[in-house]
Amino acid sequence: MKKKIAIGFEGSANKIGVGIVTLDGTILANPRHTYITPPGHGFLPRETAHHHLDHVLPLVKSALETSQITPEDIDCICYTKGPGMGAPLQVSAIVVRVLSQLWKKPIVAVNHCVAHIEMGRVVTGADDPVVLYVSGGNTQVIAYSEGRYRIFGETIDIAVGNCLDRFARVLKLSNDPSPGYNIEQLAKKGGNFIDLPYAVKGMDVSFSGILSYIETTAEEKLKNNECTPADLCYSLQETVFAMLVEITERAMAHCDKKDVLIVGGVGCNERLQEMMRTMCSERDGKLFATDDRYCIDNGAMIAYTGLLAFVNGIETPIQDSTFTQRFRTDEVHAVWREKEELGLDKNVATN
Amino acid sequence: MAATVPAIAPSNHAWDFSCNLDVNFESEEHALIVYTALAVDKELQPDRVKRVMSVSDNKLSVHFEAIEARLLRASFSAFVDVLTLATRTIQDFGQN
Repeated sequence: MKKKIAIGFEGSANKIGVGIVTLDGTILANPRHTYITPPGHGFLPRETAHHHLDHVLPLVKSALETSQITPEDIDCICYTKGPGMGAPLQVSAIVVRVLSQLWKKPIVAVNHCVAHIEMGRVVTGADDPVVLYVSGGNTQVIAYSEGRYRIFGETIDIAVGNCLDRFARVLKLSNDPSPGYNIEQLAKKGGNFIDLPYAVKGMDVSFSGILSYIETTAEEKLKNNECTPADLCYSLQETVFAMLVEITERAMAHCDKKDVLIVGGVGCNERLQEMMRTMCSERDGKLFATDDRYCIDNGAMIAYTGLLAFVNGIETPIQDSTFTQRFRTDEVHAVWREKEELGLDKNVATN
Repeated sequence: MAATVPAIAPSNHAWDFSCNLDVNFESEEHALIVYTALAVDKELQPDRVKRVMSVSDNKLSVHFEAIEARLLRASFSAFVDVLTLATRTIQDFGQN
């Protein structure tokens, strides 16, 4: 039997990516392009959408060439429905609606957060972990239960990646390849720990107060030579990552799971992985994490998750192929996970 | 793509600002593909900007109405961006 193949489009933030995958998680192509702003600046919806408009079609060509497949080989066309910034999301949605009609292939709308989780699971082989999803737009501790990915803890204001990105702007660090990467590199040179607010509230975390505090004190401390930019990066990372490890550990105790999977752009931070690995080993569990190829937004994760839904009978009629800025992880009924749990469909189970 | 005819036509009531856009495609099939792709997304402020689309033969016609010139410009400009994207997608991937 021919292998099921999906093409997926991701463009919810500053990356536009097109991925082609098969149902067993093999990635045939996964090109992406990142909108990189000058130091000190973030990315805004309209400019980001224009970046995506310029790059999406060349990426489709590149993905088809690399994978050496033709449109006839594709079973479904998947796209990120949300959450994310409206105008950039629309770019993928429009291309997918046109291609669906040209190629006569069905559309599958995908939740971005669920796609990160499924990609992480198939790449690492983690079966039923507690998931820490950390990126520029999202911070959630998630575990699967009865058909849905349930959110056990989350940020009550800004995402951890947003906190790091905005602090990088204060220091005028480069946004290439990403502000978080440059903070991580600089933090390795820091050793003087500056006390910062620590904001864990039950299962939830808060980062905006930490950001305000470090934004206002950084200038003065640097001017008085009380610390270096490296010390500040080091202290910020240690503080926010300790908070994340704490709420992840609490979720593990709560749902009686031993393993942790880290996904999302901040998930490729090796210091975060190291801290989480220590905590997991103390609980006789394992840490599963991936590198920047899979952690950071990409088209393959959308294609793979859409394909899981598609083989379970889910399709999105074109008139319903909308996009939305708000789309919570637990709104998605993960039918493929239910089948896995019941062991009904071994072909669908990820291996 | 051809023949863009934006014309500001003042009328009597709240919907004081309007313009029309006609786009000719190679075939009615292509015009319908673009129509179907762009009809999914509704205007975000329907009480302030209206957009009506139709297809006849190979022509896509779009009529905009707004209560402020600023809103009309924003809506028109955003629409042209996605219209161009849909058209380029057909140009790049439409021939078998």
